Amino acid sequence: MSALPESSKPPTRAERKHCWKLRDEYFTCLDKISIIDPAIVDKDPSRAEGCLDSKKKYEDGCMASWVEYFNKRRVIDVRQKQYLEFSEKMSGK
Amino acid sequence: MTSRFVRVNLGASNPQQNRNSESFQKASQNRLPATFAPRRFYATTEEKMRTKSAIGPFTWKAATVFIGTGIATLIYFDREKKKSIQLREEKKIQEKSKSYGKPKLGGPFKLTNAANNEEFDSESLRGRFHLIYFGFTHCPDICPEELDKMSEVVEATKKDKELGEHALVPIFITCDPRRDTAPIVKEYVKDFHPDLIGLTGSQEEIKKVAKLFRVYVSSPPALSEDDDYLVDHSIFFYLMSPEGVFLDCYSQNATPESVLTSFKKHYQDYVEQGGQVNDTPL
Repeated sequence: MSALPESSKPPTRAERKHCWKLRDEYFTCLDKISIIDPAIVDKDPSRAEGCLDSKKKYEDGCMASWVEYFNKRRVIDVRQKQYLEFSEKMSGK
Repeated sequence: MTSRFVRVNLGASNPQQNRNSESFQKASQNRLPATFAPRRFYATTEEKMRTKSAIGPFTWKAATVFIGTGIATLIYFDREKKKSIQLREEKKIQEKSKSYGKPKLGGPFKLTNAANNEEFDSESLRGRFHLIYFGFTHCPDICPEELDKMSEVVEATKKDKELGEHALVPIFITCDPRRDTAPIVKEYVKDFHPDLIGLTGSQEEIKKVAKLFRVYVSSPPALSEDDDYLVDHSIFFYLMSPEGVFLDCYSQNATPESVLTSFKKHYQDYVEQGGQVNDTPL
């Protein structure tokens, strides 16, 4: 078996779980300061001082493609939730 | 002097009644023929009362009958409406677990079995129901979740007395053959279920199979680029019959229970129609 480059080997179940845990910690921190899009923190770190630590852990513990994917998913999921709540309110009326 | 007034028939519609009326008698006692009784434009009190009473009992009865009929009709229609709504709901539930017509998915294929790096011919699946999932090992969360779900379904199948140990063969086919070589896929599938068969192959072979199953797969980035990328792919399980015929597909929203129920129905239908299922280990 030839040696495979690091990124070619997929994360194991344990590594996946670890990454998810770090992601959830970071996102919970963002929830507390009401930031939806993690990209904002990249542009202006001063807005999320308390979360920068968990952000670094998250980005170190997960593959770059996963970080990008999870960040985008977060925005989509939150927007979807808001839209559903809005449409429920409208149909309630 | 005889009056030239037009006779007005007040109240009673029955001419017989008219003749017996008191005022009529009074009039005839004046020795004038009935037709020459004094004509009036107003009704006497007695006639008024008769008019009222004439409509009176009729009105109340009619009203009761009317209302009674109305209520009965309302109740009847309400019941029928409820029945039709119930029927519609039942139909919806039935349709949800059925498949809407069967597109021609699937077909014979040849890939590489990650477990032993040997050729895997779909012919070897003949006589067995199989559940195919397309994914890739670098998948962040969806593939692991779906494969866990698949494992749950397989375990539940084994526990079911009617279905048994080898009723359903779970298969994972990678959409990312560039990174997911046989050893990689072998390691990956071990993590989920011992029965899970992992298949890989060359770019062309995988492309061919993906096309057979109408699976959308995004192309990998240019070879010169980084090895860290994600693959876009449609997220479905495909249930195939022992003859390699497409039976059903299950999306991300399907629960293990609903998948098991649906599979069991297909299994029973197949056996009822005389199908032979191979229940030896693969």
